[in-house]
Amino acid sequence: MLTLTLKTALTVPLEAEVLSPDVLAPLAHDAIRALPVMLGKRQHRLDEHFDITGDGSEEIEVRGDLTKVKWIGRAMTRGRLRVVGNAGMHLGAYMKGGAIEVTGNVTDWLGGEMSGGTIHVRGNAGGQLGSAYRGGMSGMSGGQILVEGTAGIEIGMRMKRGLIAIRGPVRDFAGLQMKGGTIVLMSGAEQRTGAWMVRGTIISLKPLKLMPTFASACSYNPSFLGVYAKHLAAHGFALPPASEGGYRRHVGDASVPGKGEILVWHPHAAT
Amino acid sequence: MSCTLGEVKNRADFIIYWGGNPAECHPRHFTRYTLTQKGKFLPRGRKDRTMVLVDIRETMSAKAADIFLQVRPGKDFEMLTILRALVKNQKVRAEAAAETGLTLEQLQDLVNRMKAAKFGVLFFGMGLSMTRGKHMNSAAALTLAAELNAFTKFVAMPMRGHGNVTGADVVMRYTLSYPFGINMSRGYPRFNPGEYSTVDLLVRGDTDATIVIGADPGATMPKPAIEHLKRTPTIVLDPKVTHTSKLSRVHFTTAATGISAPGTAYRMDEVPLPLRPALKSPYLTDEEVLKRIITALQKKPAWQPAVKGGEQIA
Repeated sequence: MLTLTLKTALTVPLEAEVLSPDVLAPLAHDAIRALPVMLGKRQHRLDEHFDITGDGSEEIEVRGDLTKVKWIGRAMTRGRLRVVGNAGMHLGAYMKGGAIEVTGNVTDWLGGEMSGGTIHVRGNAGGQLGSAYRGGMSGMSGGQILVEGTAGIEIGMRMKRGLIAIRGPVRDFAGLQMKGGTIVLMSGAEQRTGAWMVRGTIISLKPLKLMPTFASACSYNPSFLGVYAKHLAAHGFALPPASEGGYRRHVGDASVPGKGEILVWHPHAAT
Repeated sequence: MSCTLGEVKNRADFIIYWGGNPAECHPRHFTRYTLTQKGKFLPRGRKDRTMVLVDIRETMSAKAADIFLQVRPGKDFEMLTILRALVKNQKVRAEAAAETGLTLEQLQDLVNRMKAAKFGVLFFGMGLSMTRGKHMNSAAALTLAAELNAFTKFVAMPMRGHGNVTGADVVMRYTLSYPFGINMSRGYPRFNPGEYSTVDLLVRGDTDATIVIGADPGATMPKPAIEHLKRTPTIVLDPKVTHTSKLSRVHFTTAATGISAPGTAYRMDEVPLPLRPALKSPYLTDEEVLKRIITALQKKPAWQPAVKGGEQIA
């Protein structure tokens, strides 16, 4: 196991895409210490900012308040990365495999354009989670992002495949221009959820303020949700059992025109 | 999709102003380019044109409009999205449309008029681009205009605010390939609004020095951004002492472009207009100040990369 601890708090962002099992695993201790990171425009050695213990490993732990450390786990394909503390922007962007766990909060562009692997955040997340980068045609195309806290705007923007589950409330434009995949909102969203979506599924356990371009289709209990529920339950996200209620299905967004669906849970009236 | 104001003057028979008050904020816009001028293909001037105003309140501009649509505050994105659906003959429920503060008939009538126009223009102001939804509201207006080109010629143009905003965008675009929100720290331009845009950088406190040229963030930006400007070294170049100058470490008074310094201004339709100075100024121009700063910086020893022969970043 390789442990890196941030030495001092940063004043400007540190871009550290080398903090990924793919880069670190084959290297010896000294080679890891000499890896380059960018502090603003200046190139520094990794050991100028981190106390490093251990040799290269697929198991990596990064400690400290890494709010200003960007691009951790960029394009990683394997291994496990654990962040004890907060993490900065673009955590796990372009990720293809492996697992990232964060004990604290993360900021924007978590798992941007990722295609595989798992990210689990114990705290809150920022905006543009699992999104496409500016000008990109599609956001995350596989893998899963699980957030125990809240999330910001435009989560899952243009996402194509994969799963996003958020336990806390999210802000505006969840699933904006979504093309596929699934977003599970355990505590609902603010407004404009699913705006301009083409395909894909947004499941909300709380009532949502829907766009006027969505049409109500039916109330039912989709059979595929049983499979999802089983998968999510394994990660601690429990969907309510079908015996307690159903989902109202809304189809849209008519402005695209799209065939996306928003499933809003409504429990049976108490008898 | 855009065009010049000359084209608007000569061709536009359908004009929408959205979230702006040109009668008071762009007072010459109606008379010089959009409404009252007789154009090559609009010989009767105002009589040949239809003007629609969409805003949250009845401003002075409503008097000039043929149709005034009062949208409920914060419902612009919803209204634009409904219009996009109606343009494609999609069904929208009347009670869902009513949340915008307008009836479905009003919106359908607007769509019919937009489709029937020979040359339509959508001018959108800060009432659209600076309210909740921000860039997505602008994106909705631009997408609507783009999609209307399946039926007729339609363009969208932002009504810019104070200063030469268009000029800054245009110059950044042809020098660095992006209009704003650019990071050059790795030697090549990276564009990511939200991450590298000024207000976000300052609010998060990601910078350790700021140089402000011809702008006054101290008067317009949110409090955390202003606090950060106060905390870190800030340099201001401006013809007058601004709010930002008061909280900066260094203020350079420069000559006012167009009055006492030559230069180029870009009109809102990105047409460059040369400016000739009428007066002489005791102060240096912005350009001269920046050139001297660059020359002085070049005399300083360059910073060296800490890793020599180290692994290069892929």
